[in-house]
Amino acid sequence: MNAKRYLPLCLTCMFVGPPGLAFGETLIINSYGGPYEAIIEERIIKPFEEKTGINIVYDAVGSASQDYAKIKATRGQPGFDVVVMTASQSLQGCKDGLLEKLGATAIPNLGKLAPSLAAVAGPCGAVHEVQYMSLLYRTDKLALPPTSWSSLLDPELKGKIILPTFQNIMAAFLMEIMSVSRGGDMIDNVDPGFAAMAELARQSIGFEQSSAILESYIKDGSVWAMPFWNGRAQLLVDQGVPVDYVRPKEGTIPLIATLSVPVGAKNKPAALAFIDFFLEKSSQEAWVTGYKVGSARTDIDIPEDIAKRQITTQADLESLKLPDLSRIAEKLGEWGERWERDVVSQAN
Amino acid sequence: MSTIALAAPAAMPGAPARTSGYLVLAPSCLVLTIFFALPMGTMIGMSFMDAQTLSPTLFNYQRFFSDGLSLAGLYRTAVMSILVAVCVTVLGYPVAYYLARSRSRWRALVFALALAPELAGVVLRTYGWLIILEDRGFINDMLTHLGVIASPLPLSKNLFAVVVGLTHVVLPFGILSLTTSIQGIDPNLERAAQMLGASRLAVVRHIILPLSVPGIVSSLLIAFTMAASAYATPALLGGARFKVLATMIYEQVLFYIDWGFAAVMAIALLIMMLMISFLGIRYEARRSSRRSNREGGAS
Repeated sequence: MNAKRYLPLCLTCMFVGPPGLAFGETLIINSYGGPYEAIIEERIIKPFEEKTGINIVYDAVGSASQDYAKIKATRGQPGFDVVVMTASQSLQGCKDGLLEKLGATAIPNLGKLAPSLAAVAGPCGAVHEVQYMSLLYRTDKLALPPTSWSSLLDPELKGKIILPTFQNIMAAFLMEIMSVSRGGDMIDNVDPGFAAMAELARQSIGFEQSSAILESYIKDGSVWAMPFWNGRAQLLVDQGVPVDYVRPKEGTIPLIATLSVPVGAKNKPAALAFIDFFLEKSSQEAWVTGYKVGSARTDIDIPEDIAKRQITTQADLESLKLPDLSRIAEKLGEWGERWERDVVSQAN
Repeated sequence: MSTIALAAPAAMPGAPARTSGYLVLAPSCLVLTIFFALPMGTMIGMSFMDAQTLSPTLFNYQRFFSDGLSLAGLYRTAVMSILVAVCVTVLGYPVAYYLARSRSRWRALVFALALAPELAGVVLRTYGWLIILEDRGFINDMLTHLGVIASPLPLSKNLFAVVVGLTHVVLPFGILSLTTSIQGIDPNLERAAQMLGASRLAVVRHIILPLSVPGIVSSLLIAFTMAASAYATPALLGGARFKVLATMIYEQVLFYIDWGFAAVMAIALLIMMLMISFLGIRYEARRSSRRSNREGGAS
């Protein structure tokens, strides 16, 4: 036997490891794939690894709701240390006791966030990004840019709009906006909102849940206008698709993205350090200019052309209709049933 | 000698025969308990719990029977599954018969083609159908360009699309089940009938079909249960307008985070599948029993 010959090699592997692998701290981050992954790798993860020496494992599996279901099913031990979700899941996770409460002691940059947005996300979510529901339209099909959400009901858009399914939170937000614009409110009197959505359903070609599928309709020209998150809308503009987007005059509701730490996370100190790093002024500037979204920090310096389209100033924040996500969560079941009866049944 | 040895397996040394039998069964019982009975018990318990307060309640069941949407989902699931079961069995039978009886050199190729769909994943195959059937898909595009239609035919986001997609997914299982059954029928019976003047059609109608009823029942049951529990195909091809229980359960778990109500829906789905399986198995058992009695009486 040649045991003696292989012994040094075995010992080297045991104590040193294979070439190229560092045996430092590891932090597992669960987030999204696609363009998001490429941009976060370049603008946030790489600089964080260089600064701290912490090795990040990026897990792009699952949407925010799937990630939260995983956290709930594993009672706060989903196998990742930081998760990117939305404020809805952060609030629910706090309520269920499955996410850590975050404080300015461990994450000093939390104190730099706009208090109104931080309050919407609750104590378990650090707001790292703000998008808003924009009205996306084809510039080559519509002579004039739409200015109001009611433009979706214009006769020229009959059969040329598409709506999100109710399982995409944009649907509830659009219903709330329409409700307010027609004399109702955002929670307790939404009858006008559902009536408007029924009209929109008759005008639409149907419903899709995923943003990727929704955007395919406007890319190929079978849809001329639709509600869409402005970050993805901007990516389409940048790709050269003949589209543009507006913040209609009735106002809009933001999509507040958050970073959270499950209660059973294995590497909490590194998780908190990562969140603080993501909220730093320079990181927020890199993220806003890279992913073309807004920030909850109003002190960032970014180019004018980006700033005017994103939520970056106090004035921008004040123009948003901030939802009470806890009340929405309470109403979702009831609204979902109503959506099926009153809205889906009206579609062509 | 060998028959005796097979009929009475040797007990483990030092253990009575009954104990060793239990020991052999123990691993599978343990696996079933851990991965089936316990989760099932948890799910049943969850169905009686309020999602917010976690207190015991019958509200989830009351809601299932009163909201109108859940029962409609159950009805759609049943209709879809029955149609898929029938399509799979009707389409699969001729292929299975060919595979069971043919001695052609093409048999192996047909067998490979019949099973080929299983080589691609369900999601991939479903997206394939989406590309073919959707409003902007191959069929509508072609008919529009040929001037046959002015606006797209409603080929997707409905019952038709889901049945087409699921039939494609489940068909290989139906073919396998039917082939095994037909292979078990003695070919001499067909030859004897033909020698006595029966036409090919009469042979199929009076000999092959009756004798392959166990395979037909098995194919119907397999296709029904696979269709009823399918998620990806109904979700992609049915969309928002054709929701079945599987897609509704997914929404309750992930979007509404109402696991109690999702559990009630899952139990309803399970009961429906158990009832259909029970009816199928009972029908086949009665049929076999009647046949045995007839054969016993005749002898």
